[in-house]
Amino acid sequence: MPTLTIDNQPVTVAEGTTIIQAAERLGLVIPHFCYHEALGAAGSCRLCAVRIEKGPLKGIQMACMIPAQDGMVVTTLDPEAVEFRAHVAEWAMTDHPHDCPVCDEGGECQLQEMTIAAGHGTRRFRGLKRTYPNQDLGPFIVQEMNRCIQCYRCVRTYRDYCGGTDYGTFGSRNRVAYGRVTAGRLASPFSGNIIDLCPTGVLTDKTFRFKCRSWDLQEAPSVCPHCSLGCNTLPGARYRELLRVKARVNRAVNGFFICDRGRFGHGYQNHPQRLREPHVDGESVSWNDALAAVHERISQTTEHHGHGTVAFLGSRRATLEANLLLGQWAAATGCTRTVYECHPEFDRIARTVAARLGDQRRSPGDIQRSDFILLIGAEPLAEAPVLALAIRQAKRNGARIVILDPRPPQLPCAFEHLPLTPEQLQLALEQLATKKFKGWTRDESTTLRNLGKDLTAAQNPVIIGAGALLGAAGIERLFDLVDASSPAARPCGVLVPLAGPNSYAAGLLSNGGPDFDDLLDAILNGMVKTLVCLETDPFEDYPQHGRAQSALAQLESLIVLDALPTQTTRHADIVLPTTVPVESDGCYINHEGRLQAFAKVLDPGLSVAVTGGGDHPPRIFEQSAPGNLPRPAWAILAEILKLPTETAALRQQLARTDNRFAALTQIHRAAEGEIVTAIGIPPRPQDDDGAVESSVPGSLQLWPIDTFGGADIFSTYSVHLDPLRDEPYILLADEDAKQRGLTDGAGAVLTSELGHLKVRVRCTATIPAGIAFLPHLLRGATAGFVPGGGALSCTLKSVEGEA
Amino acid sequence: MELLPENQQEFFRSKAAAIAHPRELVIDALRAVQSHHGWVPDEGVTLVAALLGILPIEVEEVATFYDKIFRRPVGKRVIHVCDSICCWTREGEAIFTYLQEKLGIAPGETTTDGVFTLLPTCCLGACGDAPAMMIGLTTYGPLTPQRIDEILAQVRAEVSA
Ligand code: SF4
Ligand code: SF4
Ligand code: FES
Repeated sequence: MPTLTIDNQPVTVAEGTTIIQAAERLGLVIPHFCYHEALGAAGSCRLCAVRIEKGPLKGIQMACMIPAQDGMVVTTLDPEAVEFRAHVAEWAMTDHPHDCPVCDEGGECQLQEMTIAAGHGTRRFRGLKRTYPNQDLGPFIVQEMNRCIQCYRCVRTYRDYCGGTDYGTFGSRNRVAYGRVTAGRLASPFSGNIIDLCPTGVLTDKTFRFKCRSWDLQEAPSVCPHCSLGCNTLPGARYRELLRVKARVNRAVNGFFICDRGRFGHGYQNHPQRLREPHVDGESVSWNDALAAVHERISQTTEHHGHGTVAFLGSRRATLEANLLLGQWAAATGCTRTVYECHPEFDRIARTVAARLGDQRRSPGDIQRSDFILLIGAEPLAEAPVLALAIRQAKRNGARIVILDPRPPQLPCAFEHLPLTPEQLQLALEQLATKKFKGWTRDESTTLRNLGKDLTAAQNPVIIGAGALLGAAGIERLFDLVDASSPAARPCGVLVPLAGPNSYAAGLLSNGGPDFDDLLDAILNGMVKTLVCLETDPFEDYPQHGRAQSALAQLESLIVLDALPTQTTRHADIVLPTTVPVESDGCYINHEGRLQAFAKVLDPGLSVAVTGGGDHPPRIFEQSAPGNLPRPAWAILAEILKLPTETAALRQQLARTDNRFAALTQIHRAAEGEIVTAIGIPPRPQDDDGAVESSVPGSLQLWPIDTFGGADIFSTYSVHLDPLRDEPYILLADEDAKQRGLTDGAGAVLTSELGHLKVRVRCTATIPAGIAFLPHLLRGATAGFVPGGGALSCTLKSVEGEA
Repeated sequence: MELLPENQQEFFRSKAAAIAHPRELVIDALRAVQSHHGWVPDEGVTLVAALLGILPIEVEEVATFYDKIFRRPVGKRVIHVCDSICCWTREGEAIFTYLQEKLGIAPGETTTDGVFTLLPTCCLGACGDAPAMMIGLTTYGPLTPQRIDEILAQVRAEVSA
């Protein structure tokens, strides 16, 4: 641990820390462009000049390139260093167009800040500026190449960190430029990070272009609602419209990065179909009337049918506060059937995870430090995109990545892949734990045996698996394997992406209670007459749509709290409009049990862009904004329960009532969130019915799977993500396609118990024969194919005359 | 027009397969395409990437780095006139102006008969022969207007032969 002196202040730092990082520890920001904590140093901008007075390399040196050494004396204020930095800044600015007034980066621009910090203020260069044509980089990112200072951060972010393959550096000398070989959308699902990482206005957010100056934005720390990772974000809004989302630093979770789903999937907040008014029996009513109606229906049900005939359904995307209050409300009405997840298989998985994760939990931050990552039946890019980024960093740090999965893996890094069928995955999980390999070819057993050995030998292994292919039984086996691979000295890590941003809480809250199948049975048996749904859509999210429909049709009353229209709100007798996450405070618990708070960014309301129809908003002066009726679900529930409707007081109450969530009272101050260590109750044992009935000859085993663009309701209501959503396609083995006279790209008709569906064929060699995959798109043509409900049997025929 | 004859394509394919870092071959492959096709079109970049089994972007980065790989159509002969210091001290600027007048084109342009493209270049390493220029792979210098007339006539004759 070297101790050095910077500007007369001593500081002790870890071995390998550079001068610029050591200075940062003292609160000294040495001007810099190319250095970035996540990307490391490139030494290319020369702005971070300091003088080393004492040390092996005396004189003017780049602070980002020189490791701190014991006894080193550094000054940032040395006149020569100061002048050096001023010249570098001036030089970086010679070709700059000085167009800050029309630049979206203005006001939050590192080039502005560092130029001033470096002491350059007046332009002296009178020559011609070098100019570039800009390239169209697709719907997400605008390029204004003239503002570039050649720091290489974009390439280092896109290619090195994110593993993108279609962006690079062109030219030489003063002609260096960046872009794709040909114009077009940047293909990496992490492309938006170059917006955050570019220190200038070259790369800015196209969905935010010319919408607002950065200093006019309402911003507040938030958590991404699009998957269970809970990446930290900084959404920005103005005039009642969520305009953009940036990554917010959380070193344990997402580091400095988020995925494009989290960044560009912000259109749900201002979606024209947002539910804005309470409705009773299709009529728009006031909040008072709506809540009175809720009260009336519930007491009527209880009076006519007895206690316990009202049931409550919580959700993976409602806040912890709302889910907790739903539980309290249910208890108050004498309900014994509170369910927190309408997909029974995902419910079981969340319960298993909440019960078994313990100290073996791993965050994406931990994953980066792993030396051996075994993915079994997981597709991070669809289920938890930033996890794929973390795996890539582990690979860059030398980890071994092994994937057992029938699908062609999409990871943005090199890996070893063994394409096993979903049934074989179960077998592999079991036998890797018992170390007795039966039922494989000789090659396969050798591979698996070696894998088992390497898993044991690894220093810091992690096993990752997800529910869509493995099912609840598979996740149980995965935990058994983790236990079997965890000698006391070196526990094996585990990471299971869950169905939604608050699934873990749902698993914890279920408390060993019934699942949604039990609830549907109770409805069908006439034991439940009224159902309250909290921000959940059992019509769409329960895998067997037919069963859900026929059961829910039996209800006397369906009361739904939600922010966006769903099949459930369409069938509801009472709809209570709620806010979306950015419009209220709240908490989620992510896949590893990390409780994270988000703060309200803006109040709900119809945006000025809508009320003004693109022109000046109507000149009507009112106390309240139009369309501002939606309320946080927790506030509605708190009012019903006569509890405080103010965040801090409510959290106090909730923490007192359920001490598993004691952290709630302080959570808004926890920079990296707080792990909830309470242990959940595992699901009841169940027959393993993961096996697919052997089917008609010529049929395929069809597995619905998640995709990057369509896994959650907020994404599907975000039009900006449309370019990322493919038309329905089926993924199958080359030989299966060939047998049916189909080729890659051909049109086909898929027939299953869910009817006929037109799909495009995608085939590859690596998929095991007899298996096919259908990406699920919520609210799209494939909405009926819900992942996690096992496989269906299907046939596939070519469509004559269709390309 | 063909980008690269099949036997040469095969040469690069097998060589790339035999070495640890096929990127080493990018310049050679680009030059092969250029000498066969005259310049390197977009398809040339994708072809080289495919032959070497690397990303198109990795080829384009190299292709655009070197000013002697032509990513746009050029004349049959490219004239590179040195604009670096030694030639500058020995009337290099005047020589460049003379060439522009003589050929009737500005730097970066190609003569209407498609024979010459005129480009500036950094030092050719021919400082002893300053002012200097390079046509194809031949360096000429010290240059005078008269000498330039002779060289241009000679190269034109070669091209039309
Ligand atoms: S585009 Fe931005 S990140 Fe990339 S080199 Fe230029 S200034 Fe740096
Ligand atoms: S990985 Fe998940 S939580 Fe993170 S930004 Fe993407 S969708 Fe949001
Ligand atoms: S920050 Fe050190 S050289 Fe760029």
